[in-house]
Amino acid sequence: MKKYISLILVLIMAFSLCACTSNAPEETATPEVTEAPASVDLEILVEQDDSMINTYSLLAVNDKASFVDADGNAVNDVELNTAGADALINWLLSDEGKRLAADYGYAEYGEFLFYMLENAPASEGVIPNATEETKTVRLSTTTSVNDSGLLGYLLPIFQKEYGYEVEVFSAGTGKAIANAKMGNADVILVHAKAQEEAFVEEGFARVIEGMDAERLSYMYNFFVLCGPAADPAGVKSAEDVLAAFKLIADGGYTFVSRGDGSGTHTKELALWPAELGITAEQESFADYTEWYVSSNAGMGVCLTMANEQGAYILSDKATFLTFCANDGVLPEA
Amino acid sequence: MSTALQKAVEFIFSGSALLKDIIGVTLRMSLASSLAALLIGVPLGIILGSGSFPGKRILIVLNRTLMGLPPVVCGLLCYLMFCGVGPLRHLKLLYTVKGMVIAQIILITPIVVGMMEPFISSVYPSMRETARGLGISRRRTLGLVINESRYQIISTYLMALSRALAEVGAVSMVGGAIAYKTNVMTTAIMNFTNMGNFTTALALGIILLAISLAVNIVVSLMQGGADR
Repeated sequence: MKKYISLILVLIMAFSLCACTSNAPEETATPEVTEAPASVDLEILVEQDDSMINTYSLLAVNDKASFVDADGNAVNDVELNTAGADALINWLLSDEGKRLAADYGYAEYGEFLFYMLENAPASEGVIPNATEETKTVRLSTTTSVNDSGLLGYLLPIFQKEYGYEVEVFSAGTGKAIANAKMGNADVILVHAKAQEEAFVEEGFARVIEGMDAERLSYMYNFFVLCGPAADPAGVKSAEDVLAAFKLIADGGYTFVSRGDGSGTHTKELALWPAELGITAEQESFADYTEWYVSSNAGMGVCLTMANEQGAYILSDKATFLTFCANDGVLPEA
Repeated sequence: MSTALQKAVEFIFSGSALLKDIIGVTLRMSLASSLAALLIGVPLGIILGSGSFPGKRILIVLNRTLMGLPPVVCGLLCYLMFCGVGPLRHLKLLYTVKGMVIAQIILITPIVVGMMEPFISSVYPSMRETARGLGISRRRTLGLVINESRYQIISTYLMALSRALAEVGAVSMVGGAIAYKTNVMTTAIMNFTNMGNFTTALALGIILLAISLAVNIVVSLMQGGADR
């Protein structure tokens, strides 16, 4: 018996050794790169198209909303930190918050990552300091604002100044909104208009003092269609982004889709030629699986995938620039 | 591999606040949940292994089923219990270390019971005979049983602890992987992987393995002490 066990152990060790050594040549090939051996071959092919505007909105979750539990029973006493939510939103919409967000990334990437909407709601409300009850604010948000480092840059300033603690739960817009509907968030910051409007429609959002709408759209950037620099589908010369997507679909060039109900995924679904009938349902793209890769993963993983497969991909510009500037990884938040 | 190893070493010596926090939360969570699971599971295992009562076999089968409970299912159930609209919402356990510990206790206790029960049922009958012959009281017999199984208890604890350290499905759902609050090693590895940052993810994996190794060495030394 003991003999067999030791034999198995030796085999396992031999295997892991093989695995290690087979990795080694790749790394020696690129000795100057200290990060992952990835180098980015993706580049932005179509951008600054009007249909590619990516608007981010803040919504305060309504504590009086008709929450229901997993069985559909009404729940009336969901506890939310409305005062903390107001403070966070007021700060993000204050001159200081907007200025910081608008400047973010320029020093590092040489390009602005987020722009403020001209008609963005402005807050002049006084932001109260945190108290024991209002201290913890739960922000449910999309991966793009978190992974691009924006929140990691903004929130510590807000927390230091007013004493709040913002807990960031970051997932795709679909998940972020679902999470708020389960009563787990005080504020959401997302980017999918239709889903936001449905959220407001269902009564889950509230109007905070001094504002005139539930949905506070305040910053934007652009979605960009990225792909291999060689551009086999020739989308660079396409008339607009819709034509570019048609070229990809007609030629059957590999396209990596987030497939996770995120804002980016929602946007992508709207850009395919209508006759393909691609929706969030898995059945809808069953015929296109040869080139349509639905990955159900975050932006970083999808970009890595696209980079490795030489595929096309839709990304928000902020995440893409961060990804490229860091040699194919996203920095530590 | 080698870049990741280098990064892991750099990471450890950089004294990064993020890493310190992640390691702290990981240790707090896994020590608490494995100890609690041990405290609940060992007595249950002894009762199941030594007692003879109707329904014992059913309980054993049930326990073995629970040993195979997928962590994500456990996480999902806890999430639905603890979330803002869940029945236990007033305890405010979602996205807290406490909530993660509870989810892990649910996962690990059946494993502890499942490791103790066969051992006890194999040693108990002969021990009971001997104890009866010597006229030792039931209470003291039980004490002898526990003393006899200390080696098994230590191995069981190690099993529980490594399960707690390695677990990701339940803690990511209940904990939400919130930075500086509920982000543990495994969920941080997931996050970094999701961001395409494989080197850092691998570095964290190496550190996690190193922690596991350290704990195992310490416990093995203790076990050796207990043996002699």
